Amino acid sequence: MLNLLVLTILFSTPLILAAMGGYTSERGGVINIGLEGMMLMAACVGALAAAHYGPVGQMIAGVVAATVLSFVHWLATQVYHIDHVISGMAINAVAAGGTNFLYLKLSDPAHGSGLPHLPISVFCVAGIVVPFLLWFYSRQTRGGLRLMAVGSDPDKARLMGIQPIRVRLFGLLATGILTGIAGVELVAYTGVFTDNMTSGRGYIALAALILGGWRPLPTFMACVVFGFFSALRLQLQGTPLFGAQLPSQLWAALPYLVTIIALAGLLGRNRTPAGLGKP
Amino acid sequence: MIWRLIALIVGACAILAGAVLVAHASPIESLQTLIHGSLGTPSAIAGTLKETTPLLICGLAVFIALRAGLFNIGVEGQLLAGACCCAIVATRFHGILGMVLGVLVGMLAGALWALPAGLIKAYRNGHEVITTIMLNNVAALFAAALVSGPIKDPKQADTATPYVDASSRLPWIYSNPPVQINFALVIGILLAVGMAIWLKKTVAGYELQAVGANRIAARFAGISPQKVTVVAMSISGALGGLAGAIQVLAYEGRFYDGFSPGYGFDALGVALLAGNSAYAVLPSSFLFGVLSKGGTALQIDGIPKGITTVVLGMLILIAAAIRYRKVSKDA
Repeated sequence: MLNLLVLTILFSTPLILAAMGGYTSERGGVINIGLEGMMLMAACVGALAAAHYGPVGQMIAGVVAATVLSFVHWLATQVYHIDHVISGMAINAVAAGGTNFLYLKLSDPAHGSGLPHLPISVFCVAGIVVPFLLWFYSRQTRGGLRLMAVGSDPDKARLMGIQPIRVRLFGLLATGILTGIAGVELVAYTGVFTDNMTSGRGYIALAALILGGWRPLPTFMACVVFGFFSALRLQLQGTPLFGAQLPSQLWAALPYLVTIIALAGLLGRNRTPAGLGKP
Repeated sequence: MIWRLIALIVGACAILAGAVLVAHASPIESLQTLIHGSLGTPSAIAGTLKETTPLLICGLAVFIALRAGLFNIGVEGQLLAGACCCAIVATRFHGILGMVLGVLVGMLAGALWALPAGLIKAYRNGHEVITTIMLNNVAALFAAALVSGPIKDPKQADTATPYVDASSRLPWIYSNPPVQINFALVIGILLAVGMAIWLKKTVAGYELQAVGANRIAARFAGISPQKVTVVAMSISGALGGLAGAIQVLAYEGRFYDGFSPGYGFDALGVALLAGNSAYAVLPSSFLFGVLSKGGTALQIDGIPKGITTVVLGMLILIAAAIRYRKVSKDA
């Protein structure tokens, strides 16, 4: 039982951090399917840096790497006016290929696994604190309200003297930092970088954000539920359920299926920010 | 605006050259390796054409959705659904029957897999990108579950279906091993030509493009954007399923775990690069075929294959920047 609790926290933390990264981006009106790529790049660069610069270097390098990609997303969508989805796809492609290239070329095989890293509990605390901070920020502060205003109607925000392009820059920098921490946690926990190690966590975080109706606390809950199911899957592996042995892939598909049902409007009303994807 | 575009292209080239230099290789030599490995010999060209075929059909699938103003990122999942169902059916029959049934079932499976995305977009206004991403993941997981259990060939060690009977395979139009060109390529080219004509000459094709250009104007012209959205998404899914079925019947002969190396994702780049013309999907998919085949040659030279995916990502960005520059000028 205790084991299940620990696993749940462990599995949900990267989801929470990535989903909160998605929150600061999508609340400002920037569609972000590049969360996966940002996490992956942070994990790779973090792993490479840890061998030379220790745990703090790992964290800084990972966060910087994800922030650079996030900045590219801002540049592409806000300066070049490329469709947000295309830019996100391109970022995922660059991250998937780039990490494969960088890691094969730059990793030190002598180092092996067991890289130095910050204690996992640091990440877990961040995962619990950040959603509450963001909730407070978007409700009670000038910056947060501006972010919400831009995401809800960029044209009206412009009339009120807010520059969406600037507000979104800060939103996306926050996205980079949060997805960076999420990516670093993955590599800190496993101790070694492997190709495509995020394996869809960025998309699950996006799913949680949608299920949570683009609100920090419900999104947090959705991430915990997804994390719980992953933990349960690991615990139940091999044990027959209801007399039949369910393939583990069915459990893995659960978050995606629930999201499709939610998008079909069968779970409450549609809460998509009105300005999502608008220039 | 033009200097921004130049800055983008120069930046992309600098990053690539830098990456190749980090790998201790000369950028010019790498380019030569890439071109020689994909176009240098007859067998290399045949290999490039083999890679081009699924990219061409998937590219057309993304293209037609794009004409209707939809991003079908789900071609990967539709391809898997089509390939998996095609393999299940085609292994049960012999001869032409297996081939025809396999293709039809593959297309149907692809269309059905795209249908939820089309319906949710049309009637619930849920973003099709999100639904198709979720459907992709579900397709990959379901296909993995099926192929490691119910439809696995018990006689083999690897997680794969049995082979399709040789009489049900698509024929070669030129076969002199290792140089082989499959009939599948002809299907792809005919589809591109057919789609270009369909979009230009028929009412349905016109309606589809009208919705893509402006949903509200299309509605005032008496077109139902909802209906067109569902139809376009289904056609796109059927083409994705067809690509999967053809991949089984022409080249692979069976369905296995890890079937697609991401053709559905590369197809987005193919369609974006092609711009507004279905004919342009032909050269665009060939370029991606060259990159994919040449990447394998690079890998043998000690440059990780990932670099071609980075090239792809940058190509997508540059193509999109050019495309959207035109759009914002028109507006």
